[in-house]
Amino acid sequence: MSRILIVEDSGTMRSLLVQAFESLDPELKIDEAQNGFEALRLLPRNAYDLIVTDINMPDINGLELVSFVKGNDNYRSIPLMIVSTEGSDRDRNKGLELGAEAYLVKPFEPDELQRLAAGLLDVGRKD
Amino acid sequence: MVARGKGGSRSKAHREFVSEAEDILERMRDDLSVVAEAVEGGRDADPDLINRLFRSAHSLKGLSGMFGFDAMSDLAHHLEDLLDALRMGRLPLSDEGLGLFDDSITVIADALGETDDPEQVAATESRIRGLVERIESWNAAPDEDAVESDSLHLSPSVLRALTEYEEHRLQENLNRGRGIYVVDVDFEIASFEEGLAEVSAAIKEIGEILSTLPSPGDTPDSHIRFSLLTATDLAVEDLAARLDLSVDAVEVGRLPRAADADPDPAPAVDSKSENAEPKVEPEVVVGPEASPEQPGHETTTLKSISDTVRVDIKKLDELMNLVGELAIQKGAIKQMAMRMSGEKLTERAGSELDKIHRALERKLQELQAGVLEVRMVPLRQVFDKLARVVRRLRLDLRKEVQLEIRGADTELDKLIVEELVDPLMHVVRNAFDHAIESEEERLEIGKPANGTIRVEALQRGNDVVIAVSDDGRGIDADHVLALAHDRGLVSREADLSRKEILELIFQPGLSTREEVTETSGRGVGMDVVRSNIASMGGIVDIDSTPQLGTTITITLPITLAIIQALIVGVGEHLFAVPLNSVRETLLVDPAEIQRSEGRELLNLRGDPLALRRLAEEFHLEGDSVHGKPYVVVLGMGDARMGLLVDRLEGQQDTVIKPIQGPIREVRGIAGATELGEQGAVLVLDVSALVEDLGRRSDP
Repeated sequence: MSRILIVEDSGTMRSLLVQAFESLDPELKIDEAQNGFEALRLLPRNAYDLIVTDINMPDINGLELVSFVKGNDNYRSIPLMIVSTEGSDRDRNKGLELGAEAYLVKPFEPDELQRLAAGLLDVGRKD
Repeated sequence: MVARGKGGSRSKAHREFVSEAEDILERMRDDLSVVAEAVEGGRDADPDLINRLFRSAHSLKGLSGMFGFDAMSDLAHHLEDLLDALRMGRLPLSDEGLGLFDDSITVIADALGETDDPEQVAATESRIRGLVERIESWNAAPDEDAVESDSLHLSPSVLRALTEYEEHRLQENLNRGRGIYVVDVDFEIASFEEGLAEVSAAIKEIGEILSTLPSPGDTPDSHIRFSLLTATDLAVEDLAARLDLSVDAVEVGRLPRAADADPDPAPAVDSKSENAEPKVEPEVVVGPEASPEQPGHETTTLKSISDTVRVDIKKLDELMNLVGELAIQKGAIKQMAMRMSGEKLTERAGSELDKIHRALERKLQELQAGVLEVRMVPLRQVFDKLARVVRRLRLDLRKEVQLEIRGADTELDKLIVEELVDPLMHVVRNAFDHAIESEEERLEIGKPANGTIRVEALQRGNDVVIAVSDDGRGIDADHVLALAHDRGLVSREADLSRKEILELIFQPGLSTREEVTETSGRGVGMDVVRSNIASMGGIVDIDSTPQLGTTITITLPITLAIIQALIVGVGEHLFAVPLNSVRETLLVDPAEIQRSEGRELLNLRGDPLALRRLAEEFHLEGDSVHGKPYVVVLGMGDARMGLLVDRLEGQQDTVIKPIQGPIREVRGIAGATELGEQGAVLVLDVSALVEDLGRRSDP
């Protein structure tokens, strides 16, 4: 059974993401973090198979979270997907350069999220 | 090419605008070519021309804005900003800048001749936007790569994780000439937020946090590190000091621009002095790969930093020792002068020598004061730490307690200030934790809901007095006495005053017991506080009123380095008594000394003064039986005692030096000092003597 961490400060957006993941696989365990700090505290407590993060958040930004995850031997192998508002190509490219596996632009179609997530969760299982 | 044929469709006003704008552009081209000649010839551009260019851009901006040419107006606005920066000397003029002006003028000229054709308008607007962007990036990067964030001398990981907005903020701060640093702080994962919030708040007081990058800590399973990208006008040392970090924890990306670096530099040591310069350099922290292409920038930055100089305090100690030794030589000259003046033959020369001696004395005093002043730092840095501790306690203990601080500018010797941190924190923590009642308790007895701790410092002569008072429950003397009885610290028969009972708080046997903390509300480690303060030649007093609160008063000498001493003699031995603890000296008749309960007392203007004989103290052979002894009245804080000695030998400047070997362990001796011809003498530890007297309260 897979476990995912969703990091997103907007409650509306979080529940949209949770819905999309639940319809992908009702068995998924989903942890929600309202900000980057919460994510930092959750990370050592659970083994995640996927992390989904926003970029613009109040405490640390999503890129910094990506940098932390991908720069940390304990978490490096967890696939990471950035879900962020349309706009900055630079932010998107930076996220990918920092090691994020996927980038999804808000507003997104649920099936697109599911397609990306399904692929990443497979990768996660292989690891 | 631009089609001009459809101009007829526009109004007369519009044609006037175009005509005037073309005039302006013409003038700008002319001015620009003169400026370009100067730049190519390696000369400075005429400031009047730059100023005229600025005004031209300003007019153009206003005109185009009136006619709704927003893109053009925007470009003109950017040119205006750029020229303003050039005009004010904030930006050097380069080939790249000249090219930008040329291109801008061309684009604006093209736009002026434009038709209403939407495609053309769009095409021109996009050219304008391109230029605006170029201007923005050039304006942002006047010092070439010095201000390009890519070439900051920082860990790439920090820069890589910046969002576009954060990059913009970085650029803004670079433009303002602020220093860019990365502050590394390590926390336990379980509780990082509080510590991080504290550091972040401290940084925000003096600058801006551009980003907060987490990374694995030293022990990645339990710790997390945050790299705070920080922009501030402070130099790296000042930043580190503000945050209570070592300079190593701060990575330097770029130092603040000279003009903004330190508006009020404290000229601790003259940086222009030839001797000071080479010593200073290793202390100056510059980004290791400071770009060699901009020597101008680098030198100005270096200069701004070296206005204040960090000096190893040991070097100041050496200087202080030298001053002290000079004072001893001066003393020898004085004695020589006196001896010569006493002889008929050398009388004249003796009085000449005495004059020289007095002049030397004045200069020496100035020198000593100067060296002392360099060592002085305000207590503010300690008090700031106390404020942080109280903030944290407020969160931890969920108790509303105000901290009032007064006299933060009071200065003390740097060494003392550093040693003072722990004892003061201890006292404040005790007051917060144990002395101040819970809110409910306070309201019940009619106190304000919020407790108050007041920390007050003031200079009194050669001492600094720091008082920490709380409005808490005060100390239950009966309880303390009962505990002391239980522990066998005082005999049950001893009749102790309230003051004497409170003093028991400082007894090791009593104060380390936990029960005292819980019940009487105070006492954890107060013996440690007292011994810490005593090791600096200071003393701790306590005063407490039940229900109203407690005041702990710490009295410290301003400096440890050099003291004035009273030289006293017992038999053939000499001792030095620090003058700051001498209240007065008296010649007494042995008959005036009274005995009571095994103690010797002197009636000093109605108050009994406890006496100790220095000879007995150190088992020496005194000669007081042959004549009238002197009483040196010593005072430490509120405590007084009289020291019986045979002779007074006068005052001397002395440098106290620590003693090596077994004598170091002798209580009552603080160190030794050199007295020139009279050789080395021991310096009395007055606080220990006064304290021991209190302990002997039950014989």
